Amino acid sequence: MSAALAIARREIFTYFVSPIAYVVTVVWLVWCGLQFYLLTGVFASAPSLSASSNPLSAFFGGSVLFFIPLLVFAPVLTMRLLAEERASGTLEPLLTAPITTASVVVGKYLAALVFWVALWVPTLMYVWITSQFGRIDGGAVIASYLGVLGIGLYYMAIGLAMSALAKNQIVAALLTFMVLAGLFALGLLSFLDTFAAYRDAIDYLSLWGHMQSFSKGIVDTRFVVFDVSLAALFVYLAWRALDGRSTP
Amino acid sequence: MTKRYGDRVAVSDISFEVARGEVVGFLGPNGAGKSTTLRMLTGYLAPSEGEVRIAGIDAQKAPTEVKRRIGYMPEAVPLYLEMRVSEYLAFRARLKGVPRSEIAKNVDRALELAHVADVKTRIIGQLSKGYRQRVGLADALVADPPLLILDEPTAGLDPNQIRQVRELVRTLAREKTVLLSTHILPEVEAICGRVLIIDQGRLVSSGKPEELRTAGGGVASITLEARADAERLTALLAGVPSLRGTPVLTPLAKDGGVRVRVEVSAQELDQTAERIFRAVADAGIDLRELRRADLSLEDVFARLTTHDVASEAHAPQASTEAS
Repeated sequence: MSAALAIARREIFTYFVSPIAYVVTVVWLVWCGLQFYLLTGVFASAPSLSASSNPLSAFFGGSVLFFIPLLVFAPVLTMRLLAEERASGTLEPLLTAPITTASVVVGKYLAALVFWVALWVPTLMYVWITSQFGRIDGGAVIASYLGVLGIGLYYMAIGLAMSALAKNQIVAALLTFMVLAGLFALGLLSFLDTFAAYRDAIDYLSLWGHMQSFSKGIVDTRFVVFDVSLAALFVYLAWRALDGRSTP
Repeated sequence: MTKRYGDRVAVSDISFEVARGEVVGFLGPNGAGKSTTLRMLTGYLAPSEGEVRIAGIDAQKAPTEVKRRIGYMPEAVPLYLEMRVSEYLAFRARLKGVPRSEIAKNVDRALELAHVADVKTRIIGQLSKGYRQRVGLADALVADPPLLILDEPTAGLDPNQIRQVRELVRTLAREKTVLLSTHILPEVEAICGRVLIIDQGRLVSSGKPEELRTAGGGVASITLEARADAERLTALLAGVPSLRGTPVLTPLAKDGGVRVRVEVSAQELDQTAERIFRAVADAGIDLRELRRADLSLEDVFARLTTHDVASEAHAPQASTEAS
């Protein structure tokens, strides 16, 4: 466990000394800011809306389009994790240290989760702003962030697994994007009547259904179970991919 | 051990032992399978067949226990370029299970041993190849393991640095077992007590550097230089017994002198040198150089690993044993 923490710490250090961290954060914050600004405008011009909702819950669960940049950012956050070690050769000293491959994977995963959280921390600002001009539902805010964390759990796990499989960062990013976009597209199917019968199942996969529930303050354990199992599956995959490299 | 990649056999049924305290050189041309073998020993690659035991522990069954005993410096020395030297070594010490309270002490010791203390606050990416190489060496030393496995430790270093690394290996050899790979022969002669020669994934020879020399077929050489007519000198040498083959003459441009290299039987090296001196002196020619030389390991290496002469190389070996 000590090794996993050391690896996570090093990974986080490397991320925050690289320009990538700042580019991603800035672009993401501009996007979020714009979104929040527009939503606040809408609510300001239509006071009747405020009865059932507020800019914050709309921010977290209002539009599925809001998440589209994440399909690009998540792969950027995770692409270097293992693929870069492989491409630069540092995987060799890492795996010949007296540590298990499991602790390498856990360390990398923890680091990715920190990247994810770092992306969201600045949005706490909107919570503060909203609270200055009206009442906010604390429970809904906490649930919304839990929802976001849940998505991060499996987004980062998928990114980690793809990074474990890929030869270099670019391939890792592309693979991750394809898997995430695939899941995202599956979620969109629930809007088509043809798939009405499967809507319940599809809603599990869909970020849309996921965040709508959480942003209302409902912590639906089914979503939590889905997030955690998907995350566990992909972290396991990453571990097998890394371990398989040294078995005959 | 054997390592196969698909149909290609990278390492074919190599088997050897290294005793505690030995310094063993792993010698072979590029692509012979040196790195693959070392990677199997360090647990980075699993052998397709065979087993690795380090300190009596099966590497397949207890990989972490085995890795704890090895300080490994991979070829090309991959490092995290964005870290500072001391940060990197502290990170590595932690991975290698050095207790937290001793990390600073171990890092300082490794910095000193590998002669990188002067760059400990520098970012690795900004260091020269020579320094990076020694940071890799410091990494191998940081947890003070009993066995060092160094893959081409002097590659890319300048002559001064090479000398420093050799001295370091010699110092370390007093308390550690060292297995190093190289394709540089003088390195092996300078520091190794035993040599394993590997070629095309096979172990072709093994022994002390001086034993390997005789594997060249008991041939030695004599070089002489004098100001004399080349033909006259050739005629004189022809009269000396126990010469092998024809002398190689190189005329010298500066004063009409000539340099001659002859191969002779190693057993009669001394007598032959005396005979040559006498013959040349009796003819009234002033020698200004007469030098005896064993067949260099370089020649042995070439004989063992040059494939079109591989079959010839075995014949003189057999004749040595017979004589």
